[in-house]
Amino acid sequence: MFGGLRDRLQAARNRLSSSIGAVVAPPAAEPVVTPPSSVAPGTPAATSAEPVKTAAPSFVDKVKVLVLERELIVSDKNIADALSELEMTLLESDVALPVTDAIIVSVRKNLVGKHRKIGESVDAMVVSALKTALLDVLGKGFDLREYINTHPRPVKILFTGVNGTGKTTSVAKIASYLHKQGFSVVIGAGDTYRAGAIEQIAVHAERIGIKVIQHKEGADPSAVLFDTVQYAISHKIDVVLADTAGRFHTKSNLMNQLDKIKRVMKPDLVVYVDEAVAGNDAVIRAAEFDRTVGADAIVLTKADMDSRGGAAISIAHTIGKPLMFLGVGQGYDDIIPFDPAGVVDELLDGA
Amino acid sequence: MLDNLSSSLKDALKKLAGKTVVDRAAVDELVKDLQRALISSDVNVKLVMELSKAIRTRSLDEQLPKGTNVREHVLRIVYQELVRLVWASTEVRLEPQTILMAGLQGSGKTTTTAKLARYFQKKGMKVAVICADTFRPGAYDQLNTLCTKIHVPCFGNPAEKDAIKITREGLAALREHELIIVDTQGRHALEADLIQEIIDLNILTKATHRWLVIDAALGQQASEQAKRFHEAIGIDGVIITKMDGTAKGGGAMSAVAETKSGIAFIGSGETIEDLERFDADGFISRLLGMGDLKALYEKATEAMNADDMDVNAMMKGKFTLRDMYKQLEALNKMGPLKQIMGMLPLGNMELPEGVYDVTSTKMLRYRIIMDSMTPGELDEPTLINSSRMSRIAHGSGATPDEVRELLKYFKTMQRTLKGLRGAGSGGKFNMQRLMKRFSGQQ
Repeated sequence: MFGGLRDRLQAARNRLSSSIGAVVAPPAAEPVVTPPSSVAPGTPAATSAEPVKTAAPSFVDKVKVLVLERELIVSDKNIADALSELEMTLLESDVALPVTDAIIVSVRKNLVGKHRKIGESVDAMVVSALKTALLDVLGKGFDLREYINTHPRPVKILFTGVNGTGKTTSVAKIASYLHKQGFSVVIGAGDTYRAGAIEQIAVHAERIGIKVIQHKEGADPSAVLFDTVQYAISHKIDVVLADTAGRFHTKSNLMNQLDKIKRVMKPDLVVYVDEAVAGNDAVIRAAEFDRTVGADAIVLTKADMDSRGGAAISIAHTIGKPLMFLGVGQGYDDIIPFDPAGVVDELLDGA
Repeated sequence: MLDNLSSSLKDALKKLAGKTVVDRAAVDELVKDLQRALISSDVNVKLVMELSKAIRTRSLDEQLPKGTNVREHVLRIVYQELVRLVWASTEVRLEPQTILMAGLQGSGKTTTTAKLARYFQKKGMKVAVICADTFRPGAYDQLNTLCTKIHVPCFGNPAEKDAIKITREGLAALREHELIIVDTQGRHALEADLIQEIIDLNILTKATHRWLVIDAALGQQASEQAKRFHEAIGIDGVIITKMDGTAKGGGAMSAVAETKSGIAFIGSGETIEDLERFDADGFISRLLGMGDLKALYEKATEAMNADDMDVNAMMKGKFTLRDMYKQLEALNKMGPLKQIMGMLPLGNMELPEGVYDVTSTKMLRYRIIMDSMTPGELDEPTLINSSRMSRIAHGSGATPDEVRELLKYFKTMQRTLKGLRGAGSGGKFNMQRLMKRFSGQQ
């Protein structure tokens, strides 16, 4: 998972390091880039077209710098090439265009104008800038077990998303995951539209060994899910997982239906499901779902398809909601709780 | 965000509009905007880079064809290069054949299989379907339900786990059907055993077509996946699904480029009838988020012939009613005014909604009135006195007031053109200012 992105990011990172390193190469020839100035101790500006001129340390600082710690300031020019390469890397990894722009701006802001001490590793600087940018975007993870433990039962979770992203399969996987963690689970077969959807979830539930509440094809999904919640209450079940039919955010009647489902079953969590292989559209539809029915957490499916994971970054950045799970295969166990720090470390780890 | 993008592309094109020489900086800017537009539409980044390089070189190196301005020249190159990519439209013959469906999980193979069955059924073919998806629970139920609705036989067995066996039995059972569509399980290129399965299925069915079903939202991954599928079974056509959302289908474009095949169909809705043959122009327009490039290009060349409008004479101030007549005629050839405005990449030009309808009917009225004028009057409008006016009104079934309005409009136009000449802005007929004057008349 994310293997592709990792390789690419590492290449970009090396490139960034070397272009900063190159500036540093002749330290003797280019001593200090601080202009003579009597201004009181200034803080180096974060970003500027001419970061060199903005640094205005006091005389004491200047001497200190001259004598003790020769510093170099990274300028926009030094890293322009490397940044545009990083931009390509992100775009090729399916990070949507506006999100890519945001990350590049963040990395540039972090690097340009930075004083680099001679002894300090270029690499460390670059890694930390990239890390900050990525962590910024990915935010915190979402611990579902913790959530269920701290909330009144039954915890009702509604799954939404466009067609074919893997809602039904994810519901089955999460049911299996929670079942193994010792929670009691019931599934509501709320996809009453797609032919074969009820059969699909029923077979999954039978294999995992949990109960499904289902009506006939074409029934009102709100009614199905209301019954599911009632069942959970009367049988003291911990978690209700509500599957729904896939729908496009452009179909207002279907979005209204989702609204009705929300009113009727009052979910504690609305989970938005999308696929890791989706491109720029991921951003548009995630934003639209978030706007109309809301989303509290995200499940990203199909992350095993040699995916570079860009969609994770795009969606998380767009709606600012945590990623809960990653779907990484066709088996029930092929789902892993998402840990942003771990993923970012993995992405930037190694040579 | 996309709207911003397409308008920035339009603005870039607009900047080229007034130029008579291809300007390197303007072309660079246009290419950059084009890149952004294509990347936001999920076209493979490498493909975009190649494409924009070609457009840039051609725009700068190729001679400006006579009679076209820079904008048209660049537009034409952009259009040609894009069409070249998706050009190979897959031919769909109505003859006995076997179609093997392939694609990633959740791309819409099963729904598309049913839609295709419906498409060929409507064309009078005897269609049958085999469900070779033995993995996903409910897959057979789904396909069977859809097929029952359209009375197409569907062969499958949810209890059987061997896709090859089902397909072999299905082919035997459905022998007398002309067209057989084999729906398969979703798979991705890294699942070696599943790829082997589809290779075996391809050999077994001796499929005439192997179509790859691609979700319109599929991103950069499309190229790689298409490549692996192509290596395995030789994809000869792509079907884009879920085009009814906001996705642009750029991934499918990358897939087509990778497999050197064409786009056969487009799925754009949830009902079984929602399948269309591919239309390159509409697709490209959507990809770039701007009006129909080809129509604009063709119509503009066709209608704006030098014969139709003597621009030079007009610029010299010799603008007569006859010129105005030609002008209205030329505009009329290009179709309803609103459509023309939609096609012109004029960027931020905004016209009030009502203006379009009023003006296009007005234009028609004006032409009828002018048909009642003598050649002398057309050449020398000042001849028209009140007696001539009532004669013209009588002849054209209009009121003298309408004739007066026409003459007033003519004078406004004349003044506008003189003003243009005075300001010395370019040498081109300024549509935007004209429209402003025109709407002021109402």
